[in-house]
Amino acid sequence: MKKILIPVGILLVLGIFIYSKAVGTYNQFVQLEEEINGQWAEVETQYQRRTDLIPNLVSTVKGYAEFEQETLTGVVEARSKATSVQIDPTNLTPEKLAEFQQAQDQLSGALSRLLVTVEKYPDLKANQNFLELQAQLEGTENRIAVARRNFNESIKSYNSTLKVFPNNLFAGWYGFVAKGYFEAAAGAENAPKVEF
Amino acid sequence: MAQDFPPAPNPPRLVNDFTGTLSASEVEQLEQKLLAYSDSTSTQVAIVLLGSVGPYDIADYTIQLGEKWGIGVKGKDNGILILAAMEDRKCFIAAGRGLEGAIPDALAKRIVSDMILPNFKMEAYYQGLDQATDMIFKLASGEYKADEVLSEGNSGGSILLILLLVFLFVILPLIKNRRDNNNHMGGRGGGVDFWTTLMLANMLGGGGRSSGGGSFGDFSSGGGSFGGFGGGSFGGGGAGGSW
Repeated sequence: MKKILIPVGILLVLGIFIYSKAVGTYNQFVQLEEEINGQWAEVETQYQRRTDLIPNLVSTVKGYAEFEQETLTGVVEARSKATSVQIDPTNLTPEKLAEFQQAQDQLSGALSRLLVTVEKYPDLKANQNFLELQAQLEGTENRIAVARRNFNESIKSYNSTLKVFPNNLFAGWYGFVAKGYFEAAAGAENAPKVEF
Repeated sequence: MAQDFPPAPNPPRLVNDFTGTLSASEVEQLEQKLLAYSDSTSTQVAIVLLGSVGPYDIADYTIQLGEKWGIGVKGKDNGILILAAMEDRKCFIAAGRGLEGAIPDALAKRIVSDMILPNFKMEAYYQGLDQATDMIFKLASGEYKADEVLSEGNSGGSILLILLLVFLFVILPLIKNRRDNNNHMGGRGGGVDFWTTLMLANMLGGGGRSSGGGSFGDFSSGGGSFGGFGGGSFGGGGAGGSW
């Protein structure tokens, strides 16, 4: 009788241990995923803020720089393209994220071309409305950068938790997969050094 | 990456000149001024002068440094970091999350372009920082005034009035001055106007309150020392420029 009890007891303890470990890991993943969703919402909010500023910017520029139709059209087109790429936060695969980033980067490019063109129009550069919009736009770009960095950090803690043993086993069971990062802007590697 | 950012100063200081641009007495004067403001309002305004931000965008660097040092009080996020990279000839004012309403990007931009850049161009670094911090005090004080008013439950109208006054007296004259400026030699027209009208707007705004307005701008003469940054967070607010 006693000989049976010992292995059963061991199995029972082992089972409880694995079960609680599995539940704990699951909850940890859920928490990290929630964190990511929160950061993603912030990223989307800031990109949306930029999108919302554009019609105003375009109509302000239009009044002064009528000859720059092509640049303006470029911005409007990039904007509508960027708004068409939406991501469901539960499906943040690297491919999806790259697509989103590409659309938004295109809009950034079109916007910066517009702001370069504007240099040719001193009247516009003295326009108070335009200056406000420009400051807001710059501010939004900065906020986007912060939101993206925070998002990347939460992805990093999620991914690194996911990949270590034994979490990787549990993650496989539950169907949690690694998520994508925002890529850093190109050309930032071989730049000068910081000096205090 | 981490070595790109200087560690938070120990003992903690609000004014950190890594370049030796300011004289010791100028640093001390600014420090006491910012310290007095921080003591009376809990809003922490910090100044950092360094050589170069290297590969970083000045905005990005300033925001990250503010976040790393935790300028401002946790929860209130009422920190401001004015950072100038002397070799890059660039400056940025980063506003903590809690101050983005009081100092929106457009106003931060104006502080940089109207107070810091013209002075820095003439190598009047202390004057530039002095004027910029004065203006930040005025704006940031408005935010806490608004807080008080709201908690007493009456009249959001006075905030609107203050904003209206700021717009009428500050922004309109600026537009005019900007037009005038083309004709002058080196002088920046309207610095005084801008300044006095803001004082005026501030006094009018302060008239409704019973007390507390007088302490801003006081220079505390006792050489107190700063207790340290409080973990404030930066969301990307602020603006910059280059001289």
